[in-house]
Amino acid sequence: MKGGQRETSTGPSKVTVHPSAARPGAPHARADEMALVERCRKGDLAAFEEVYRAHAGRLYSVACRMLGNPTDAEDLLQEVFLSAHRKLDTFRGDSALGTWLYRLATNLCLDYLRSRAGRTNQLTEALDDEPGLADAGSRGLADRAVTRMDLERALGKLPEGCRAAFVLHDIEGLEHREVAEVLGIAEGTSKSQVHKARLRLRALLSE
Amino acid sequence: MDCRRFQDAIQELVDGTLGPIRRSELETHLDGCANCRALLADLRRIRDVGETLERPAPPDRVWLQVAGRLRQEGRVTAVSRTRHYAPLGIAAALVLAVGAALVMLLPGVRGGSPASAPKTATVQSGNAAGDQAVQSVETEFRLAEQHYQNAIAKLEEAAKSDQSAIDPQTAAMLQKNLQVIDQAIAESRAALKAEPLSAPARDSLFEALKRKVLLLQDTIALMNEMRKGNAAGVAQIVEGSNKS
Repeated sequence: MKGGQRETSTGPSKVTVHPSAARPGAPHARADEMALVERCRKGDLAAFEEVYRAHAGRLYSVACRMLGNPTDAEDLLQEVFLSAHRKLDTFRGDSALGTWLYRLATNLCLDYLRSRAGRTNQLTEALDDEPGLADAGSRGLADRAVTRMDLERALGKLPEGCRAAFVLHDIEGLEHREVAEVLGIAEGTSKSQVHKARLRLRALLSE
Repeated sequence: MDCRRFQDAIQELVDGTLGPIRRSELETHLDGCANCRALLADLRRIRDVGETLERPAPPDRVWLQVAGRLRQEGRVTAVSRTRHYAPLGIAAALVLAVGAALVMLLPGVRGGSPASAPKTATVQSGNAAGDQAVQSVETEFRLAEQHYQNAIAKLEEAAKSDQSAIDPQTAAMLQKNLQVIDQAIAESRAALKAEPLSAPARDSLFEALKRKVLLLQDTIALMNEMRKGNAAGVAQIVEGSNKS
């Protein structure tokens, strides 16, 4: 996870820690993680509950923001962990267990959204009218207060590809490298998707 | 002024990844461009609000459902290595707490304990409350389950005594939560039937029984608050039930 840098135009940069990086409970070392996974593979329910307790909160948060309602997110969370248990044999430890679970959850969210919409979207769909600087002044937030509720509502209107990247990066605090791994895209694509999402959110919030 | 070429740099500044040379160029541009300064401020605000969004907690029933399904599919069989198992002590202490709660929450309902009963249950490892001699783990398990069932029966009787006190919507929510827990209890019992000595199945059963007790306690507390017309108290209990 990253440390966020907030820079001012005059003073020195100040490194602050993204809330997600300060989560209680340090991530398991890889060896401990593999040992836990091995116990799960052998049918140890208590071991799998450890995995659930360590990761369910983050995955549920992603699901809520991707799907837009807690009921669907509950169903999806259940499906994520049932699917994870079935696929435990495929986890090799190349990535962290958390990243692997994020990937599972995000893919299920995107599949769910696409089947709900009844269409197939490319993960990195181009926005025909990509918002930019053309009329930045009139689109700006100016002194308008942006509440959490405003942002949640606007998030729901983003295309799912860049919504996923924004949720993972700006809300969950993953680095672009990790977002890229979760979404199966290049790191540069993760950056452009997050940037695109921010510009679209700015336009939505200034309406 | 071609602001487009600075758009990426502005985003990277927000990310905290802009190198010093490009940052210097950008700062020079920002000094003379109100539009880009506004864009930078807006993107920072969006990122800042995004960082403060709360992470909603998943309801506990999700884990119960996952565990139940895994047992149904026969995917979990191994006994946990480090389980701390004292169901009888927990159950007996819970009965005392339930009895005290009934006396406090619903006047006229006879609780099973004196007023000096502890308000919170304490657990002592390996203790068997009461004077029942514990012959085996099996006997201890059956006694513990019986304690829970007694507590549940008492609470259900109290909850049914004045169902009209709860509005239909809240009653429907409580009923739905109860159904989920009853399903978890049924699944745990089915797992125990298949594997009578399975500690995870027993733990899961006790967890579900404990949740049923807590839900019934909430129901009675809700009835009391509604009877008193305490909207704030009602909202607090309903919110707590939704989270569990």
